[in-house]
Amino acid sequence: MGKKDEELIADVQAGDPVALEELFMRYKISILNYALRMLKVRADAEDITAEVFLVLSSRSQTYQPVAKFSTWIYTIARNLCVSRLRKRNRFVSLWFKKDGEGELVAFDVPDPNAHDGQGHDQKDMAVYVQRAIAKLPLKQKEIVILREYQNLSYEEISQVLAISLAQVKILIFRARERLRVDLDPLIKEASDV
Amino acid sequence: MFNHEQMQQLISAYTDNEVSLTERQEVEAHLKECASCQKYLSELQMVKKSLKIWSNETLSPDLEQKIKQGLAKAQPRGGGEMKNSKRAMALSLTAVMVVVAMVYVTVYQGKTRLAKHLNSAVDDIGDKFILREVGKKLDKKTWDNNIRREKSQRAFEYQQLAKVVRGADGAGKDELFEKQNADRRGTVQSQPSTSELAKGIRDEKVDQEFWGKPSGGGENIKGALNVEYMLSDKFIVAETRKENFNTEQYDRIDENGFLAAKDNPLSTFSIDVDTASYSNVRRFLNDGQLPPQDAVRIEEMINYFTYDYPQPKGDGLFSLTTQGAKCPWNKRHDLVLVGLQGKKVDLKELPPNNLVFLIDVSGSMQPANKLPLLKKSFELLVEQLRRKDRVSIVVYAGAAGVVLDSTPGSEKEEILEAIDRLEAGGSTAGGAGIELAYRIAQENFITHGNNRVILATDGDFNVGVSNDDDLVRIIEKKRNEGIYLTVLGFGMGNYKDSKMEKLADKGNGNYAYIDNRSEAEKVFVNQLGGTLLAIAKDVKIQIEFNPAKVKAYRLVGYENRMLKKEDFNDDRKDAGELGAGHSVTALYEIIPAGVDDSEEVDDDGDTDTSFSKVDPLKYQATKIINSGDLMTVKLRYKEPKEETSQLLQQRVKAEDIAEESPDENFQFASAVAEFGLLLRDSEYKARASYDQVLRRAKRAIGEDEEGYRTEFIGLVKKAQSLSAGQWSDRETMD
Repeated sequence: MGKKDEELIADVQAGDPVALEELFMRYKISILNYALRMLKVRADAEDITAEVFLVLSSRSQTYQPVAKFSTWIYTIARNLCVSRLRKRNRFVSLWFKKDGEGELVAFDVPDPNAHDGQGHDQKDMAVYVQRAIAKLPLKQKEIVILREYQNLSYEEISQVLAISLAQVKILIFRARERLRVDLDPLIKEASDV
Repeated sequence: MFNHEQMQQLISAYTDNEVSLTERQEVEAHLKECASCQKYLSELQMVKKSLKIWSNETLSPDLEQKIKQGLAKAQPRGGGEMKNSKRAMALSLTAVMVVVAMVYVTVYQGKTRLAKHLNSAVDDIGDKFILREVGKKLDKKTWDNNIRREKSQRAFEYQQLAKVVRGADGAGKDELFEKQNADRRGTVQSQPSTSELAKGIRDEKVDQEFWGKPSGGGENIKGALNVEYMLSDKFIVAETRKENFNTEQYDRIDENGFLAAKDNPLSTFSIDVDTASYSNVRRFLNDGQLPPQDAVRIEEMINYFTYDYPQPKGDGLFSLTTQGAKCPWNKRHDLVLVGLQGKKVDLKELPPNNLVFLIDVSGSMQPANKLPLLKKSFELLVEQLRRKDRVSIVVYAGAAGVVLDSTPGSEKEEILEAIDRLEAGGSTAGGAGIELAYRIAQENFITHGNNRVILATDGDFNVGVSNDDDLVRIIEKKRNEGIYLTVLGFGMGNYKDSKMEKLADKGNGNYAYIDNRSEAEKVFVNQLGGTLLAIAKDVKIQIEFNPAKVKAYRLVGYENRMLKKEDFNDDRKDAGELGAGHSVTALYEIIPAGVDDSEEVDDDGDTDTSFSKVDPLKYQATKIINSGDLMTVKLRYKEPKEETSQLLQQRVKAEDIAEESPDENFQFASAVAEFGLLLRDSEYKARASYDQVLRRAKRAIGEDEEGYRTEFIGLVKKAQSLSAGQWSDRETMD
């Protein structure tokens, strides 16, 4: 694996382009998927992903080794996602409708090419999960995404979202309460297997 | 009292390993005694597990490259600590200025000589940019030359830019920043933000791609084209042709193989086809490169051309043509052509059109492949209109409102002038939008005519309705009142494609995706009837082969259109639409019964393997009906307003297979197919050869009014010399 993230970002601060690329390779999947889960729209997520690494590069001097590198990069990513979400609220898109919470939900389009029985179910279930998460209040949703998908610790989450550790614990507990209910049919199905 | 809720919160943290040692012991102790908490724990674990169903996606290699390039650009070159950030800013400023220049140029295209010059400079940047990346694998001398050229080019452009930006009233530059800064409350930023850079990276690539060459295919989702995708294919191909080809650039096509007619007598597919792959292949060859194998979708190449099928008789909507002959690339096999021809509607006979164009002129429509292309497309359409047609233009975002009141199609000057005045940019304005468009359509309603709102957008569109449910309601309501919706997509990524189609579907209209000039021509000129008028929807084909005559068959192409056999009769299953005058062609390669494959040895010394790998059935005895048929072709379609399908059938007799078909359609279609097999280096190409392709294509060239067939012949020659060159390269490398 080689250098630690914190060592690499120090190299970036010194102007090393190789280190920057290495960081990109390490985090590209995580950041893209984080953005995808936050924004739902692929094009937006791709823009954000590119931006995150550009910011990393142009504002590398602002990173202080006090925080973990991963916390820093997720903070950047989060800020960019949140401002993109805010901008979105201004527009009624032709391609997405907003549910009650202002969450964008793509017009329901079954893929006409998905005739493979197996694949179909999988996709349905994933959409189901997405919807359940989309229904969560924003903070809870963010915590679930950071914890369950990006695997950040509570401590890291509290730093990225700028809330207390206690709040993280309570909010994720509440989120799980909701998800337990919303995902119940899926869980039943899974346990029947 | 014991607080279960608190315990549950602890358990929740426990599942994340976020508890202290004492807490852990507390939880575990409690769990031993409390069944309900045990249940709670397992439920939480199930929740965690089911969340994972939403799995990760990967970056497309294209996106990865773009970001890397963007990083490299923004990164200062060479060491130095303090200078870096200044240099980075200067470089990013240059990059944005180039973007600004291209945007500016787009908007005022054709009005200045400088514009023309910058266009070609930008054109060159595109190519050089690529070459530079590839240059990493080329020799140092070439690399140095490239760098030098690029540096001097950039210096020149910067100079020119400085003149342009200072000289003009700065409108172009400000417009761009204004839009981006609308939410920064008036403070115009003097340096580019990274979001602009990032967006710039995406748009820049799109612009470069468009200015350079016409783009085309790349994706296999129906109607969808991904322009950005193209750029990376271009630069990967050059370096990987000599190495292992990276098959991840395109979705891998697993070619349809031969299927035993006994086990699989039914072949079912949807007719929905693009023609994008052909444009893409054309682009590669014109650039002097062989296209990546997976970019070659043979059915799209075949369908790019028009064929001389007979018109349907009487009131029929379709004619079905079948032709058979010996397979040109494998003399032991036969080739059967199935041609579907939609009824042509003479433009003069098209019902009067009442068209309202609702055009997105927001800032994002600035790039060349969006509003400018849109304008060009409309110009082409306007040429075709008649006095009994009416056209109106409404724009949204920017100059709000009606740009042109409903005008007869004969007043071409007036309409063209209005189109010409359209400009992208400016802030969002309330007001006009889809409601206005429908209102105008209503006011000018033509009974028994084609009343239609044509929405043209890149997807990022504020239609002026407060929420989306309202939008859908309006579209559906108007459809019921007889005003339909056609959607034209420009410069969009393919992921929105199915949604655009869905909206057009709700509006009982159609949709088209227009990515370049030639596609615009096709949609608005050559196939205008089809664009304005779809004659059938959910069109499916199912072929039943007679095992007595057919040992095995192989459908050439259509890998992404295959349907389950049950889907043929299931009217709920969607399939493709056919426009007036459109045609669809499919080729089947057939191994006739009685051909002894064990003797067939191809060039590599392999023998054909037997096809039926299935054990004979124990409980069913299949009785093969005695018939002289080779196969029966069935077609199901629905009239545009119907939900029940109709059936057409046609038999193909074994004796109809000729030694060599004199029919031009067959000759040309099979030539295109053979060409495709060669480009794909298909395992089924057998004795295919470029010479054979050329011979047949030349003989079948026909009238070729539009010159596409002649162009095809030129492409085949190019491919022939490229592939010959490739072989000799390999030799010298050893």
